[in-house]
Amino acid sequence: MRDRLLILSVFIVASCGLAYELIAGALASYLLGDSVLQFSSIIGTYLFAMGLGSHCSKYVKEERALATFIDVELLVGLIGGLSALFLFLVFAWANAPFRTVLYALVVICGALVGMEIPLVMRVLNQRKTAFADIVSRVLTFDYMGALAVSLLFPLVLAPKLGLARTALLFGICNVGVALWTARVFRRELVNPVHFYLRGGIVLMLLGGSFVAADRLTAWSEKAIYGDEIIHAETTHYQRLVLTKWQDDLRLYINGNLQFSSRDEYRYHEALVHPVLEKQPWTRKVLILGGGDGLALREVLRYPQIESVTLVDLDPAMTTLFSTSAPLVALNKGALKDKRAHVVNEDAGQWLEKDNGVFDAIIIDFPDPSNFALGKLYSVPMFRLVNRHLAQNGLMVVQSTSPMHAPRSYWSINKTLEEAGFVTTPYHAYVPSFGEWGFIIGAKQAGYTPPTAYRLPMKFLDTESTRQMFFFPPDMHKVDVEANRLNNQSLVHYFEQDWSRVLR
Amino acid sequence: MELTRRKVLQLGLAAGAGMALGGCKLLQLGLNIKGYWPGMLEGHLLRGNTQLPAPSVERKVGVAILGGGAAGLFAAWKLVRGGRKDVLLVDGPEFGGNCAAGALGGLAHPRGAHYLPLPSLESRHVRELLADMGVIERDAFTAKPYFDERVLVHAPEERLWVDGRWQEGLLPRTGMDADELKQQQRFLDFVAGLRDKTGSDGRRVFAIPLVLSSTDPQWRALDQLSFAQWLKREGYTAPGLLWYLDYACRDDYGAGSAQTSAWAGLHYFASRGGHAANAEEGAILTWPDGINPLVRHLAAALQPAQRLAGMAVQVTDAGKAVHVDVLNVLSRKVTRLIADQVICAMPLHVAAHVVSDLAGLGFDLHRHGLPHAAWQVSNFLIDAFPQEPVEHPLAWDNVVYGSNSLGYVNSTHQLIRQYKPESSVFTAYHAFANEDPRAVRARLEHASAEALYEVAAQDLQRVYGWRWRQHVQQVEITVRGHAMSTPAPGFLGNPGLAALRALDGRIRFAHADLSGLSVFEEASWWGNQAAEALL
Repeated sequence: MRDRLLILSVFIVASCGLAYELIAGALASYLLGDSVLQFSSIIGTYLFAMGLGSHCSKYVKEERALATFIDVELLVGLIGGLSALFLFLVFAWANAPFRTVLYALVVICGALVGMEIPLVMRVLNQRKTAFADIVSRVLTFDYMGALAVSLLFPLVLAPKLGLARTALLFGICNVGVALWTARVFRRELVNPVHFYLRGGIVLMLLGGSFVAADRLTAWSEKAIYGDEIIHAETTHYQRLVLTKWQDDLRLYINGNLQFSSRDEYRYHEALVHPVLEKQPWTRKVLILGGGDGLALREVLRYPQIESVTLVDLDPAMTTLFSTSAPLVALNKGALKDKRAHVVNEDAGQWLEKDNGVFDAIIIDFPDPSNFALGKLYSVPMFRLVNRHLAQNGLMVVQSTSPMHAPRSYWSINKTLEEAGFVTTPYHAYVPSFGEWGFIIGAKQAGYTPPTAYRLPMKFLDTESTRQMFFFPPDMHKVDVEANRLNNQSLVHYFEQDWSRVLR
Repeated sequence: MELTRRKVLQLGLAAGAGMALGGCKLLQLGLNIKGYWPGMLEGHLLRGNTQLPAPSVERKVGVAILGGGAAGLFAAWKLVRGGRKDVLLVDGPEFGGNCAAGALGGLAHPRGAHYLPLPSLESRHVRELLADMGVIERDAFTAKPYFDERVLVHAPEERLWVDGRWQEGLLPRTGMDADELKQQQRFLDFVAGLRDKTGSDGRRVFAIPLVLSSTDPQWRALDQLSFAQWLKREGYTAPGLLWYLDYACRDDYGAGSAQTSAWAGLHYFASRGGHAANAEEGAILTWPDGINPLVRHLAAALQPAQRLAGMAVQVTDAGKAVHVDVLNVLSRKVTRLIADQVICAMPLHVAAHVVSDLAGLGFDLHRHGLPHAAWQVSNFLIDAFPQEPVEHPLAWDNVVYGSNSLGYVNSTHQLIRQYKPESSVFTAYHAFANEDPRAVRARLEHASAEALYEVAAQDLQRVYGWRWRQHVQQVEITVRGHAMSTPAPGFLGNPGLAALRALDGRIRFAHADLSGLSVFEEASWWGNQAAEALL
């Protein structure tokens, strides 16, 4: 009976062992991509670590074999059970050490699992069962366990429970084996109560995690975004995450905050109206970027405007903002307005092909955080924009923060000047961003800020506008290079500026 | 996990090929590989004793320019700009020669040279061209002209794959010891000092065009050594530096540092004195199709009637005029040009078969001919960009440390895009250096697509592994058996080249071969010289 129990535990142990391997492989291919590479390297490492474990098992003293087996089971249960959840959390916080943690866990789990079978065989051997019989029975159940899990995992467990909870379930099985073994062989153990106690603690930990697993995985994303996620989507181009906390709706693209519904009106009023208020004759407007439709919402408030072309790369973005109810409420259905024409194309490509001329151009590109985005803030790009601007037209560019990224801001200003624009820099305080900067470009000098607005505004009035165009000493112009495509100094400035601000 | 059928298949292929065939034939399965051997058939036609038909037409011309590469086109452009109308350009077997280009999947790509360094002050002729094209926007003849940024290479310009990781720049730094870094710095300081150095005759020691360099014997003595010998003599032993310098020689001259004159090796580093008002030191100019736009611009100056398809097969000085027989390979018809003046803008090993009594003009191919390097320019159309590390994104030029190949260039690098385009062309360069060029040519003449692919994809496979293959849609491989002359030790004092450079009669020469090294500035310089003499 006891021997049979040991053989049954082999079945469970083998199932669990394979399960951790599959979970690690699946997790790696989910999070890192390239499933073939991830799977084969994980399996290889795991098998190698199992070899290490088998080797180490010979150092276990004969009389400690049973006790060590129970301890190993508890450890496997704890580490293997929590592995997936832990990896999710690590991945949420940082990408770089993820691989290291992953492989460390694989090696530890593999080594522990590798110790199990040799120990069981030794325990059975001590009990004078014929050796040929031991080997045959142990290995038979070992392989049967493997088959059971390799079918259960992809068909039932992974889809139903998810990876984190599947791992926890197997962890609980391991602990179960440990407790059961301790109970059945209590007479042969020096102090069985110790094992019950340890087993109990681990079981509670795993059980608790099993219940909380969903919340924990969600929290791992929340750890980055802070709030509850109401929409997350990885498009062909970027990862869009929408969060909500009370009435605060926030959009993150690739983890960077794009707007908060609480104060986006400040940003978008500041972006749009200093240009449009001064140009009552505006009929045709071009918006580059701004797939959220919020700048468009502000533009469409002017009844005389006949058409607005919005060029945003990502169709998933404009679709989301023209279909999701809370978002449509936020942009007032701007993207569905019959005066709006949405084009999903790379702005540079579109500008090269199109030969329309616009009275106002509003540029709301992502910040110049890499070489590709840096190109959008270059002399050739701004010249291209210039060709689409009417002779008496105005354009405005979101230009990072003159407070937190002064060199980036003034580099954009210089680049605009070099592209032939007469510039007027200004800034506005947007609580969720901090002090944010914009630059107006015109083909000729003479722009003066508005002193009043015909449309009702939440943020802009005579005084706030005056302050926007005033640069206090801590935001004075710094002497920097224009953004040359040859070295993209803007991308370097941006990186350095923000690395000083962010901790 | 996602183990699709396609992935399983690829995995099996990679494993199977690796075991059975050393990664050779199976990998080509289903891949569309096109090979080009431009000019080979035409060239070999001249070499054999093929009986050519008698001329069926005669045509009188003022200036016949024989060859549609950089030198010939530059001469034509210059003459037309100078007001000459009686110009006829004989295209030769390949328009543009080493500046040729092609297209794959609608994307232009180079079939030859892929960049032009910022022109030095002496290269007035190149500045004149760039200003005419609008590439130089202002201050064309000053120390720092203002260039069109779309053409200045965009950051990140280059990166080097060292031991499984990328680093910025091509001089290997990753994991190098202090002595290596010290030697690198010593070399860089030395060549920086050479840039403004003048010889006893007051000329810059290393100038582009090369003939404007000082003739000071103290510096010319460097031409007696190979670059490798000179480096050894000067105590340069650091492996990273030596690899880089060998790479530089292969990249520019098609020959390794042991086959390159020390003078030429240093010329590469010390002659590039060009600056831009709006770019960093050492910037270069590039287009998706390499430097093909330069020759297209030159050719656009010519009327259709000023061009003749075909190649010159016989050039004879008939006293009052020069007779040039031009064979149209397709129609097999020969036109005889009766030309007042002829500019031979063809490689000298071809001219030796075409121009009657070239030896009488002072150039004997067997005695004066420089060795020729064979090149392979391989273009891969890809439908998705391979994954790159965030901290070292794909650069314009991507080189593998320790490789005997020359890395690869991304043809869509200069596009101004928020996101990478759907497809692109990677161009991998390979010069068959450190091998007997004749043996290489004999091999390349009949090389299979598979053998060429092996050479073509070596750096890409090293970097991206077996995953590279899954991005490739089409491959086009251009084989240039006689891609360029290499400046072997002693090339500076070559009397045959000196004789051709000095020719002042009805027949003149214009080709990079006159300089002994193949770069656009040299080729166009000789085109410019020949044209100026006739204006």
